[in-house]
Amino acid sequence: MADLEIKNLHAQIGDVKILKGVNLEINKGEVHALMGPNGSGKSTLSSVIMGHPDYEVTEGDILFMGESILEMDPEERAKAGVFLCFQYPVAVPGVSISSFLKKAVDARHPEGKAPSGPFLKEMRENMAFLEMDASFANRGLNEGFSGGEKKRMEILQMMMFKPGMVIMDETDSGLDIDALRIVSKGVNKMKNDDMGLLVITHYERILTYIKPDHLHILMEGRVVMSGGPDLVKELEEKGYDWVREQAAATA
Amino acid sequence: MPTLALPPAVEPAILPGFDENVLDAALKGEPALLQAKRTAAYEAYTTIQNPEAFHEEYRRMDPRKFKFGSFTRLDIPHQTIAYNAQPVDGHYDVVISVTPEGIAIEDRGDVTASGKVRVQTLQQAALDYTTEVEQALGTAIESEEPRKFFELNSAFWNVGFHIHVAKNATLERGILLRYHNDREGSALLPRLLVTAESGAAFALAEQFTSPDGVATLCISAREFHLAPNADVKLVSLQDWGSAGIHIGEDWARIKRDAKVDLFSMTLGGKVSKMTVGCDVCEPNANAYLGGLFFANGKQHFDQKTLQFHSAPNTYSNMLYKGAVKDTGYSVYQGIIRALKNCVGVDSYQTNNNLVLDPGARADSLPGLIIDADELACSHGATMGNLDPEQMYYLRSRGIPESEARRMLVLGFFEEVIERVPFETMRDRLHEVIEQKLNPVTEK
Repeated sequence: MADLEIKNLHAQIGDVKILKGVNLEINKGEVHALMGPNGSGKSTLSSVIMGHPDYEVTEGDILFMGESILEMDPEERAKAGVFLCFQYPVAVPGVSISSFLKKAVDARHPEGKAPSGPFLKEMRENMAFLEMDASFANRGLNEGFSGGEKKRMEILQMMMFKPGMVIMDETDSGLDIDALRIVSKGVNKMKNDDMGLLVITHYERILTYIKPDHLHILMEGRVVMSGGPDLVKELEEKGYDWVREQAAATA
Repeated sequence: MPTLALPPAVEPAILPGFDENVLDAALKGEPALLQAKRTAAYEAYTTIQNPEAFHEEYRRMDPRKFKFGSFTRLDIPHQTIAYNAQPVDGHYDVVISVTPEGIAIEDRGDVTASGKVRVQTLQQAALDYTTEVEQALGTAIESEEPRKFFELNSAFWNVGFHIHVAKNATLERGILLRYHNDREGSALLPRLLVTAESGAAFALAEQFTSPDGVATLCISAREFHLAPNADVKLVSLQDWGSAGIHIGEDWARIKRDAKVDLFSMTLGGKVSKMTVGCDVCEPNANAYLGGLFFANGKQHFDQKTLQFHSAPNTYSNMLYKGAVKDTGYSVYQGIIRALKNCVGVDSYQTNNNLVLDPGARADSLPGLIIDADELACSHGATMGNLDPEQMYYLRSRGIPESEARRMLVLGFFEEVIERVPFETMRDRLHEVIEQKLNPVTEK
């Protein structure tokens, strides 16, 4: 059994059915990429994995480390080790980055409170690694941040929480080449046998920085094609129409 | 000229508990100047109608809630009580304490010795600095805006202080005034007169407390006179126990290049009606009005701001942030008033409200009355519960729902709190807000 198992997942928002039977298996230590055209359900899948309250799962299951997480609140999923890099992280004015990170780290600590000294040291080191100015720690969370700063903030959280399974929802969108390099640097530093990674993206560009072991293509709410790293190149050359034809032929 | 003021009375309008007999008691033993001021104020008070629920200003705050007639004006003796030091006192240069037994003025920083800073009872100031008190006391109020409770306090105040800071003098740690009333059925009427000479810079903190369940009434009036280039900050925390009733009137007159910050924090008591008015009356005068209120349980808070621009090129900025929970009810009402020919005015009015429970209610009525051209005035109000996307974001990071709510409510208020110039006051604000979010279920 895989560490993250998505089985025949159907989900909708309101009356709009978006996921129509997604199957996906990801193990820790693996990097998977998920690509697909606009409206195929990529962002919905990441929201459903994290437990966004607006989405309703009507069929299927999501298992993490052998246990269904569907009934879990978002905070329980996070503590179990699931981490979502948001495509559009919200601003939370009045809540400083350092106090936010401390609360989130405390929530994971067995005694409910992590010692401040080591926490601050780790936060500063990670910020330096991501080329973030130390003064950022006192700023309101994502308040007035540029697109690149927001994404670095997401990676900083990933580095602080050390999750077992990371879903990156179009982290590369809106990033210039420098920001993309820094974000990728953070992800590659974190990559290890204790962490699985699902990189959801529109563009092949990020996959030259974060090399996937597997690629899946999502269309109309289903994974219609899966393959190895070579599939990236093939998709780039032939486009989604080719995937549609292949899918129609096998259906 | 449309204002929200109470209309003039045909017959003398007298509120129960504040009549001629009580005035006689207030006049007894007072210096001649104060007797004259009180008598004139009494006249003004009786010529303004008593508030009724049909008056525009009281449509959302039935004046019967003030329970006039059930409170007796305290006769605070002119005696010095033993100074009861508190842990936070070291953060202030001067600490003024008031209880029903008397007052204590503690100059901890030895700042009054040089004479640059004077902290006196109004009675003493009226004797020592008669002309100054005559010119300042009762004159900060806008004549366009007759205020019943300002005049009531001017006639009946039972404890009063004059704080005067001389030219270019500064206070490093500021002044704390604390009022504590533990006497059931009593009315405290504190009066504060602040005069800042040119270039003076200092901050005042004020706190009102009473034991939970002890019914008290407070009718407070404060006035601030800022000479050119003065810089004065006031942080007032209404922190009464559960049965307190509070009515307050603040007025500030700000001259050329001077700057005032008036923070009005309403958290305690069961009923509160607070009015803060400022007149930026010479070019380049600047006022900031900061407000914070949080009504939970059955608390009912009403706050009003008046930003008067009576000179060209004047500035004011107002930010009031409130939350309501359980069946709490809050009202915000505000006016920006720019007089004729006041060009180059820059004025903002913002009121943001968090409605945390379906049974809670917040009303917001911002407004502009503009008789001038070529100015920039704007107002805005928001109303709503916590943003679900912010909640989801925090929870997706492992933060439990209750903690996420706490962080978002504190974060909402932080925009006002971070500007408060006293650490002890910021701490107390955080503490009370947290208590309101997670009340201890005893009592």
